This record gives sequence, structure tokens and C-alpha cells, in this order.
Amino acid sequence: MSKYKAVIGLEMHCELKSNSKVFSSAKNAYSDIPNSYVSPVDLGFPGILPTVNKESVREALMMALAFNCETPEYMYFDRKNYYYPDLPKGYQITQMHSPVGVNGKIVINLGDSEKEVLIHDIHLEEDTASLDHYSDATLINYNRAGVPLLELVTEPCLNSPEEAVAFLEYVRRCYQYCDVSDADTKMGQIRCDVNVSIMADGDSHLGTKVEIKNVNSFSNVYDTIAYEIARQTKLKDEGRYDEVEQETRRFDEETGTTIRMRSKVDAIDYKYFVEPNIPKYKISKDWLEEIKKSIPMLPRERKLKYINDYGLSLYDANIIIKDKDYANYFEECIQLGMDPKTVANYLTVQIIAYLNKEDITLKDFYLKPEYLKQIITEVNNGNISSKQAKEIFNKSLEEKKEPKTFITKDNAQISDAGELTKIITDILANNQEQIDAYHNGKSNLFDYFVGQVMKETRGKANPNIVKEILNDKLK
Amino acid sequence: MNITKSIEELHTLLKNKEVTPDELVKESLLKTKEVQEKCNAFVTIIDNPRITEVTDNPLSGIPFGVKDNYSTKGILSTGSSNTLKDYVPIFTATAVEKLENAGAIMVNKTALDEFGMGGTGTTCATGVVKNPWDEKRMCAGSSAGSAAAVASGVYPFALGSDTGDSIRKPAAYCGIVGYKPTYGMISRYGLFPFASSLDHCGVLTRSVSDAAYVVDAMKGIDDKDQTTWDSKDIHLVDSLSGDIKGKKLFYIKELVNIDNYHHPSEMLKSHLENFQKTLDLVKNLGASVTEVSFDQSLLNALPSVYVCLSCAEATSNMSNLTGIIFGGRGVGNTPDEIMMDHRTKGFSPLIKRRFVIGSYILQKENQERYFNNAARVRRLIVDKMKDFFKSYDALIMPVGSGIAPYLDDDNNMIDNDEVRCLEEHLQIGNFGGFPSITIPSGFISNMPVGVNITGNCYDDENTLNIAYALESVMPYKNQIAKDDKNE
Amino acid sequence: MSKFTKEMVQNYANKLLINLSDEENALVLEEFDVIDHNMELITKIPNIEMVEPMTHTLDDFTYELRSDVATPSPSIEEILQNCDKYEDREVVVPKVVGGD
Repeated sequence: MSKYKAVIGLEMHCELKSNSKVFSSAKNAYSDIPNSYVSPVDLGFPGILPTVNKESVREALMMALAFNCETPEYMYFDRKNYYYPDLPKGYQITQMHSPVGVNGKIVINLGDSEKEVLIHDIHLEEDTASLDHYSDATLINYNRAGVPLLELVTEPCLNSPEEAVAFLEYVRRCYQYCDVSDADTKMGQIRCDVNVSIMADGDSHLGTKVEIKNVNSFSNVYDTIAYEIARQTKLKDEGRYDEVEQETRRFDEETGTTIRMRSKVDAIDYKYFVEPNIPKYKISKDWLEEIKKSIPMLPRERKLKYINDYGLSLYDANIIIKDKDYANYFEECIQLGMDPKTVANYLTVQIIAYLNKEDITLKDFYLKPEYLKQIITEVNNGNISSKQAKEIFNKSLEEKKEPKTFITKDNAQISDAGELTKIITDILANNQEQIDAYHNGKSNLFDYFVGQVMKETRGKANPNIVKEILNDKLK
Repeated sequence: MNITKSIEELHTLLKNKEVTPDELVKESLLKTKEVQEKCNAFVTIIDNPRITEVTDNPLSGIPFGVKDNYSTKGILSTGSSNTLKDYVPIFTATAVEKLENAGAIMVNKTALDEFGMGGTGTTCATGVVKNPWDEKRMCAGSSAGSAAAVASGVYPFALGSDTGDSIRKPAAYCGIVGYKPTYGMISRYGLFPFASSLDHCGVLTRSVSDAAYVVDAMKGIDDKDQTTWDSKDIHLVDSLSGDIKGKKLFYIKELVNIDNYHHPSEMLKSHLENFQKTLDLVKNLGASVTEVSFDQSLLNALPSVYVCLSCAEATSNMSNLTGIIFGGRGVGNTPDEIMMDHRTKGFSPLIKRRFVIGSYILQKENQERYFNNAARVRRLIVDKMKDFFKSYDALIMPVGSGIAPYLDDDNNMIDNDEVRCLEEHLQIGNFGGFPSITIPSGFISNMPVGVNITGNCYDDENTLNIAYALESVMPYKNQIAKDDKNE
Repeated sequence: MSKFTKEMVQNYANKLLINLSDEENALVLEEFDVIDHNMELITKIPNIEMVEPMTHTLDDFTYELRSDVATPSPSIEEILQNCDKYEDREVVVPKVVGGD
């Protein structure tokens, strides 16, 4: 790793879910048909006015509160003015003076350690149109124009690409847990701007900050930061640090490098000023309270709970909180009285494997918690073996029938000690030779006897009880 | 001709079937063509408007005009700018829609200073609008075409918009009534913006009661404009009692006292005399009039504050005019080139200059000195007015410093002049969003002059009633422009 | 001596994507001087920096945010009826290079 300390700040833009757009009532949804979800407002026709969507504000406030931000008494918006073909009005409505949240913090886990990431602000704004570039022309599709965007800006307090990506992963998960966004990077729902500078140990002030705009996947964020640190380090080592300029660059996926877009002298002055068409909105205490109450438990808190209260391993807890659906499934099972470790085992092994194999999500998974409970209860009561449980699990999924359909008298486990003793006695009587060998030290013959019992009972004998009786008899 | 009658009279005639909407429209269109020839007041004449039924709504069957900066679906809407010379909107402004729903019939779109950014009626893409009382004189602006048309008797009312005084000044120069209600009483959805925090919708009529009828129909909360408020408890027509006994009015000494002018022109003297006579009429009605002093430094700052704020907002508001989705495609090899070509060719020199000023004011390094300080003075002026409204019902002031200037005196430069504040004090009404109405108050050299009454926010009923009472003791109600000089 | 220059004015105009003729440029310079002079007077108003800038016309205003209901979009014909250059359902501009 570099001998310099990297200082990284992130701006993370995430599209929010809602029925309508943030400043217009056009539908907020993805469509393959260009220009199918647009209103005159999104197209910037003369005379249009923005109207703020309550749901978008609620979602933004929810995340501001979830990330421990201060919220303003009055919320209002600003215009960011610049000319670009993807910006129909010639300005983007955003929040500069009074964002929905400021001075927040998010604690993330990095392996075994924790890190507190400081949030400068979190604000609500509108997305731009999307441009499709062809060899001779660019086509503009306005479906995305006006889609609500939540922008989260960190303080420059991250120090490695690993930290940056861990942070982004965590924030994305929080959005999903709070159900404000699908936060799907493949759909372009998350885009990041990255600031990187380096400083030597003894340096008292930050190095020259380079901004890399519009990095659209987490792996690209990683590569961007790694590349920039290497680039800046090399220049510093060669005594050419003055060549590191305060500038805006972009990440080039093909070469894995960053390329200069413009220097600070050419920086755009966005001429921010308050959007006069959106009056100051007083955020009532009651509404804030209501939003606060509706925030679900976030992944990090859940993880701690799973480990401390339910005794899960860190490994299992990490797998479960990775996906909101896993965590909710797990918690529903606990609610139904199932044993946390057993559920965790099912979830992290069989269920996830099945989902991956079938390429489906938990929403489409047939074995709802109450069905899983049918299987686990039968195992716990000793009525079926774990092998049978597995079969029933698969059968139930295959035929989309409740597990109890497959738990019949016929396949019920034999747990009756008397019955098993009788069977074992018969088997031992016919295997005197093996008993002698066992007593002479061939201890692995114990499994031979268990196998004989299973063979006799066609696998229905309760193995634990069988072992107990055998131990007793073979003493 | 019936068309020159008031809304109330026309409604009675229509209800009694003494005239049909179709006949009124024909009369109005005939007049339109006459006035177009004489004053060049229109951008579009709607030859075959949809004729409506006569209902109990007082506006049903009545023709009207719309300033061309209102979006009208299916009908050319240019804002009197070449940037939009072929623009046919796909939606109708809420204010227009409400009038059409009431049964009123739009017969033309009127010319304005490009996007409302002028006060002369001389910077319209379709050419200069001339004053119907004297074609050599201007109408003032920006609602020049609407003022000329209403003053000529084309119909009882036309829509205007008012960012600095764009309804109330042309009303005075054309001898008619111009009213802009409290900010947010009428939805601005579909009004091409000039400066959003100062823009108001409003109306030009020949009587206060006509203005009340029209605004009663246009006002109301609109889910497309979050700056609108619920005015269902305001009934303008019903509140016109004509009784203003005990009402307290005030005027600003620094602007109205002739002694404050070092070299007053004869015109200014006559104008301020007319104002004093008007005050006597107010007093005769049983209202009091008090001379108050307004901080001179604030008054001096007024025009520059207006320029700073309006140019800054305008620069941003008109950034959508790039010719990409609408407005006629510019020539060029890059997006920037096509946008620049469209904007350079489309905007008139006056508003290009204002954009540059607005952009300068908003630059990061200048914002504090210009934009923020202007917004601070705006607050000081508005706070001062609100203080006065604690003790008084309304401000009464002369409009401008005299009669309409000659067209060849046209001066759109931002300059310093002794009467500048007197010319521009109506901007106070836009700073505070106050209801403000101009009515005719007499003649100087056969040209009309006007007086303005401005009340506190949401106090439109009171403001209008004061104007109504004053109108009733003057002989200018429903007057139609007569161009004696050309006869 | 004015603190404003022709080059400055041209630079601002360019950023607004408009071209000014020399004559227009000269007029802007005159206007700048007037405005600057008047703003100088404003800075002398006592305690002006303590005043909160007035950004909205009605300060005492309360309103409801829009409820989250989607409404139908205009037809593609309507959307493109004022557009001079489009291909199928999309607006066409010369190729955008680089940018944000």
C-alpha cells in the first residue's frame, strides 16, 4: 500500500422509489419506451412549475434521520444553473441552502473493526434526462428527467478504496432496508462522484483534491480510487506533485484510468439561488416523529442483535443482513418461535443455495416461514430425520405443497426405544463376529451396526436413540 | 356596438337573448382587426373561436384577450419572442383554463415586451404597440397589447402579467383599470416566467367591478402551483360596497411632494396636481389620507434592487429556451453551438443585455454584493410597508411621472433620473406580493393618467373596494380611447 | 474608471450561450456602472448584512406537499410537436462529447 494517507470523499446519488416524479406527477418508473413517462414539467416547457412530491420528501427525511442527521425546521430548494442537453430547464432543482439532513454519521464495519463515516449532508434533487450517444448524433430520452434523486455527501473521511466500497455497500443496504429505493447499480440507480487526495504522514493539511465524476458501479469506484491514489503517489514520489491539479476527471472503464475533463479554472459556476416557486415548507415535529418511528432496524443493528441475542456466528449474521429479504425472513421465523440457529442454518445453506440455483428472490420462494416451521418442528420432535427433512424441503418446493403433506406415518421416524432395542438385539445376535472385532479395538465398526439398524428400518430409525442403545449394548 | 359594454351589462343582454355570444365574438373580431391596424396590439387573432353557451356565469359568452405569455393549448404562444415564434403549447395556463371553463371566449393573443422584460411595449417581436389615445405615444408595458385592446373596446377584459408594473403602468397610460391580486391568488401555471418571485397574473379592464368578476373566476388554489393559496373566502364582486368611510390611506411624501424635485417639469407638476385632486375625492368619501415618510435610501435603491432580482431570476428562467425540444432548432455542429445560435438570433438586444446582468449578479463571487443585498433591501422595503399596513388600509400613489411618452423617446436603458423612483415605485407591490390596482384619474394634454391603490397581502377585497369607491366619483369608468389627434 | 471590461461581458454572455455585438456589449458596460453605483449605496445601509435575504414573496405561507399520484403522460406526438429534430421517439442533437 501507498506510504501516503489517502483522503476520500464520496457523493452518492440514488434514485428513489415513488409513484410519481419528485417535481411533477409523471410516472416514476423505468420504461423501455423512450419518452413515455414525461410531463410538460419534465420537458421544461415555458410556464411549467415544480410541485414537490410528499413521498420523496418523506423518504429523504427518513434517510436523513436514519443517518443521524439534523433536519431543518424549514425545507426549501435551490436551482443549480448550467446548460447541457440532458437538462431541459437549464437548471436542476436541488438543495444547497437547506438540505433535508446535515451533519450526520454512519457507523460501518470493516472486518472486525468499526468506522464512523461523517455525513456532510443529504439532499433531495431531480435526475436529468438520459443521453444515448451514437456515432453521428445523440438522442435524448426524458423518462429519467425529474426522477427523485437522493444525494448523500460524506466528509473527506474515508482512507481506502475498500472503505469507500464498504461504505457504499452499507448505505445501499440501508436504502433497501428502508424501502426507499431498489438501489440497483445495474439499472444505473446509483451513481457516485469521488474526491481523492493524498497526504504524507507529517502533512498538516489535505493534499490537492481531484474529483472524479459519474462513476457508476462500486467496482469502478474501487478502481477509480485505487488508480487515483497510485497516480498521485507516483507524481508525489517523482517530485512532480504540483502536476496534481484541482480538477475534474472521469473514469474510463476500458483502460481503468481516470481522464481529465476540466481544470479548476474552467470549473462551472452553477450560480445557485433559492428556487422561488417552491415556498419554504415547515417540517412538522409530528411528521418527523411519525417518520422516525417508521424507520426499520438497520442492518448493522440487526447484525448485533443476531449475534448478541440469538447467538449467531458473525459469519451467518453477515450473510443474513446482506439482503433485507433474508433478514426479514429470518426475523419472521424467530417470531414464529423457531430456533434462531436452526433457521440461520437453513437460510444460509439450503435456502440461499436454492434461490441461487433457481435464480429467484425470497419474494418468490415457496417455503414461507410458517412452512419452514412445519419441517423444523417435526425434526425437533424427533419425528423425522434431518435427511428426511431435506427430502421434504425439496419435495415441498418441487410440488409447491405444504411440507406437512409429506410428513406421514409411513415416513415418520422410529424413536421408540423399546422397538429399536428389539431390532438392535436381533441384529447383534446375528453379528457375533463383528462384536468381537469391535471389542478388540475396531471401534469404527460402531458405524457398521448403526448402518445395519438403518438398513433394517429403511432409514427411519432415530439415529441418536440408536446410538444410545448401541453404546449401552456394546459396553 | 355591444362589445364595449361592461361584463354585467353584457351578461344581462346575453341572458335576455338580446345578443348572442356569436354576435359578440364577431364584434370583437371586427374591433380586433381595426385595433391591429391602428395599434399593432396582437400576435394572434383567433378567427374561429369555439362559441360557448350562455349560463348563469357572468363571464359566459364574453370574448376576451390573453397576453401572449400565457400558454394556450393548440394556439401559438410566443411571449412576443422570436425564440418561440412557432411554439404551439400542449397545455393551457390554469388562469386561462378557468376563464374558458366559466364560458369566456378567447379571441386573440396580445403583444408584449419580449417575455415581459420591458416597460414600453416597443420590444415585441411583432413590432411596436401604439397607444390608442395617440398613436405616436407608447402604451407602456409589458402588457401593451392587452391595454391597447381593452382601452379600444375590443372586449371588456384581457389578461396581463405584472413583474414590476406591467399591468398597472399600461393601464394608466391607456386610461383603464389594471389589477394584480395578491401573489399566489391566481395560479402562475402556464404563465411564461420572467422573475418567478415577482411575477403576478392579473387583468386589464375598464371598470373595477369587471376586474373583480374576472379575478373571482381566475383565482383559486392550483395543485400545479404550490405558491397558490386557498382564497375561497374572498369574494371580490360581493365586497364592492363603495363605502370607504373611516378607511385610512397613506402616500409616500418623498415621491409625491413637488418640493422634492429640483427642476420639476410642467408635466410632473400637472401630474402631481391631478394626484392631489384625487386625494381630495378620497377624503370626500370619508376616508383619511396621511402623508408618510419612507426611508429615502430605500427608495433610491428600489430600481436597482428590482433590476438585480428580476434579471437574475430571468436569466435562469429563460435557460430552457435552447431550441432543443421546442422553439426552432439553431444551426451548429455541437449542442452548445445550436443552443447559442438559437438564443443569439431569438432574443432581442434588450433582454440579452439583461441576461448578462443577471448572470453577473448570480456569479458566486458577486452574489453576496448584488443578489443577496438586493434581496435584503427587498425585505426592508416590504417590512416597512407591512409596518404601514398595521396602521393603514392602503397606499395611494400616482402612476408614473406623467402621461405616456412619445415612442421616439423610448429609452430602455437602466439610468439614473430624478423621477426614476416615481416611475418605478409600483415594484413595491411585486416585492411584497401586495394586491395593487390602477384606475384612471383624469387627463393631461388629452392623455389619460392613473392612480394606484396598493393594499396588504390577502386584503384584496378592501383594496378593490377603495378603488371602486374612488372610481364611482370620477367620470372615467368604462371609457373608450378616442384618438382626437387623428380625427 | 469602470471595473467592468468588454472581455468580462463577453465571457458572461458566452456562458449564457448568447453572442453580443460590440454595440450591445458597450450598452451592458454602461448599465453595469449604474447598477454597481447603486449597489454601492446599498452596502452603506446600516447593518444591511444582518438582514435575511427575502427569497420568497410570501413569508407567512403554509401549503401541502403534492400527494404521490402519477398522472398519464402526453402522447409522443404532443411531446415532439414543437421539436424540429427527432428520430422515432427521441429528440436528436449533434453528438455530445465528454461532459458530465
